[in-house]
Amino acid sequence: MKSPLPRGLTIASGLLALVLGTAPALAAKDVVLAIGGQPETLDPYNTNTTLTTAVTKSFYQGLFEFDKDLKVRPVLAESYTVSDDGLVYTFKLREGVKFHDGTDFNAEAVKVSLERVLNPENKLARYNQFNRIDKVEVVSPYVVKITLKDAFGPFINSLAHASAAIISPAALAKYGNKDIAFHPVGTGPFVFEDWKQTDYVKVKKFDGYWKKDFPKVDSITWKPVLENNTRAAMLQTGEADFAFPLPYEQTAALQANDKLDVIIGPSIIERYVSFNTLQKPFDDIRVRQAINYAINKEALAKVAFNGFASPAEGIVPEGVLYAHKMKPWPYDPAKARELLKEAGYPNGFESILWSAYTTTTAQKAIQFLQQQLAQVGIKVQIQALEPGQRTEWVQSWPDPKTAKVRMYYAGWSSSTGEADWALRPLLSTEAWPPKLNNTAYYSNEEVDAYIAKALRSVKDEEKAELYRKAQEQIFKDAPWAPLVTEKNLYATSKRLSGVYVMPDGNIEASEIAVSE
Amino acid sequence: MTDTATELVSPVSATTGEAVRTPLREFWRRFRRQPVALAALTFVVLLTLLAVLAPWIVPFDPENYFDYDQLNAGPSWSHWLGVDPLGRDIFSRIVMGARISLATGLASVALGGLVGTTLGLLAGYYEGWWDRIVMRICDVLFAFPGILLALGIVAILGGSLFNVVVAVSVFSVPAFARLVRGNTLVLKRMTYVEAVRSIGASDWTILVRHILPGTVSSIVVYFTMRLGTSIITAASLSFLGLGAQPPTPEWGAMLNDARADMVNAPHVALFPSLAIFFTVLAFNLLGDGLRDALDPKIDRK
Repeated sequence: MKSPLPRGLTIASGLLALVLGTAPALAAKDVVLAIGGQPETLDPYNTNTTLTTAVTKSFYQGLFEFDKDLKVRPVLAESYTVSDDGLVYTFKLREGVKFHDGTDFNAEAVKVSLERVLNPENKLARYNQFNRIDKVEVVSPYVVKITLKDAFGPFINSLAHASAAIISPAALAKYGNKDIAFHPVGTGPFVFEDWKQTDYVKVKKFDGYWKKDFPKVDSITWKPVLENNTRAAMLQTGEADFAFPLPYEQTAALQANDKLDVIIGPSIIERYVSFNTLQKPFDDIRVRQAINYAINKEALAKVAFNGFASPAEGIVPEGVLYAHKMKPWPYDPAKARELLKEAGYPNGFESILWSAYTTTTAQKAIQFLQQQLAQVGIKVQIQALEPGQRTEWVQSWPDPKTAKVRMYYAGWSSSTGEADWALRPLLSTEAWPPKLNNTAYYSNEEVDAYIAKALRSVKDEEKAELYRKAQEQIFKDAPWAPLVTEKNLYATSKRLSGVYVMPDGNIEASEIAVSE
Repeated sequence: MTDTATELVSPVSATTGEAVRTPLREFWRRFRRQPVALAALTFVVLLTLLAVLAPWIVPFDPENYFDYDQLNAGPSWSHWLGVDPLGRDIFSRIVMGARISLATGLASVALGGLVGTTLGLLAGYYEGWWDRIVMRICDVLFAFPGILLALGIVAILGGSLFNVVVAVSVFSVPAFARLVRGNTLVLKRMTYVEAVRSIGASDWTILVRHILPGTVSSIVVYFTMRLGTSIITAASLSFLGLGAQPPTPEWGAMLNDARADMVNAPHVALFPSLAIFFTVLAFNLLGDGLRDALDPKIDRK
């Protein structure tokens, strides 16, 4: 820095390096996808986070998959047959598929992958999704037979879930149950390259991919960016080609940018408030009804979601198989006050309202609810729970009788795309915390029976009928105030195509492409 | 500081010429020569009036009025400072918030000042083991940055406005204690104190009637400056969600609520920030002015 000459040289060489450094990268068609959270693992069997499986889908595939509208389609399976009792599934597998390490995909690989998750000693988070499988047998190299313990209607859906990935048996033998999470080897369009937990997951094109002419880009970088506004800013500066989720508040600004496509897609994420029905005053159905009447859902959609949501039509949102559409609960504060008076609370009461998330959207939602409830005399203290508090106070509280949860703002999307996973974990008696998420501690024998029966049924019509009855009964009992079904908001750069956010919040990127 | 003390305790010596130069008069004469401090004083007085009369001034109910058709609307005739993301009138909320900010600031500094002054007086006057204990405790408290200490205290006590007052006051204590102790150490060796003692005055009389008045001017200056810091700390705690709980219209909490909409509706964040900024600035400038007016050394130049 003593004379201007060396400094100029430094800058020049720096620029040169920059040019040399970026030029090949542009030609090599690298795509940066910004997502809202860090993948905690790269083992699809050991996560309950949707976004994590969005990343693992780059290198793993299953027998089936959900397309961008949540319809099941075959991937590594070509076809299947079911026995009449619904217990034995026989799959015909796709031939000529290779894993990234060169191993052939065949019936043995399916058996090894499924038996891994079925072994309780491996302690995998997705064990519950597959524990109805009794045995997996290799019939011939490309035919595999799976026998279930009891009939399980949504079995194909659970195989289509992104967690049901087929892992290379050779890699599994080499790395073992734990380390496979750091060395994923699948049949997907991209080969795993590098993972820095807080920074990125990098994958590059798999030349031996079975689908001809795919993938169309050379590499993908998944970037976890926790801050909403940063993600939006990265899109605008061109640092990222895709970002999800985006802050609803910035839609207009992003839409005005002519380098971006803003997409508003449907979702199966329903937001609701659950009432602890074991505790006063929520044990009184009139109180629960009153709260339902007191909330203006249209206004909520406008205030917290900037209009990118619509009042919930029932318990299970449209788009989930066997969802039953019902009229949204009407907004009628006068009626709410009347019901409260009948229930013995003419001047309202005080309670608490927790939110399961700390996002700005959730904060606005609970503040809005606080405002609305105050109009009918219900004073609530609100708190947005940190993940640690949520786990400790709500999800793993050991004794239902002493649970501190009262009103609880949360959301759910059925990851199997089917009504069972939208009802059983949230509203059946077996799902009381700490087991699953029945934060209302709701229990209705009829509903439990409908759900259990539907689970064993293999007949479409019968299932639809049972689920309809269950949903109608729940709606009548009002253990929740169903609020809104939100919409997915995401944006891509104009050059990017083939990346979609699916209604359950997962990301479909198998046909990702960029134009120059 | 010695001079201040002498002058304040024995004003008669300064009486020459036209009017009687009482300490108050003398102070005012020096204070009004500083236009910046005068402006700050005016602002503080107006703000205090606004805060006291807030319930009668606000055009809308700060918590329960909302208009969902005007979310994030900018300033207009009916909503002077615009509407926030939940449809509430920002002007009404800021005016009500002034009440909260001033009250928490005043209460916490008063509490901290009272405890700190008492500790400092006793430590300086008696010295010995009591002095050492008090001063070491102050050193420990000083070792923490103010906001960190307050955060820790609120984390232990739980988040509420009252706990914020306690937390903020705790970190005012060592500052006052050290300041007052220093003054006391000097004053107690002054001849007039010796004189008082020789005629048999009790420790209490000496402390309260003769030493305390000598430190008042520095306490007043420090008190005013501290108000600004305390208001900003209390607002920070509320911003972090540890202080005032929604829907309380506290300025820091309002800023926190505004984060999501800062980009598309800047006024939502701008006005509460300005309120905090001007209030803290005014108290600091006022403190500066008071110091200049109360320090006789400056006057003699």
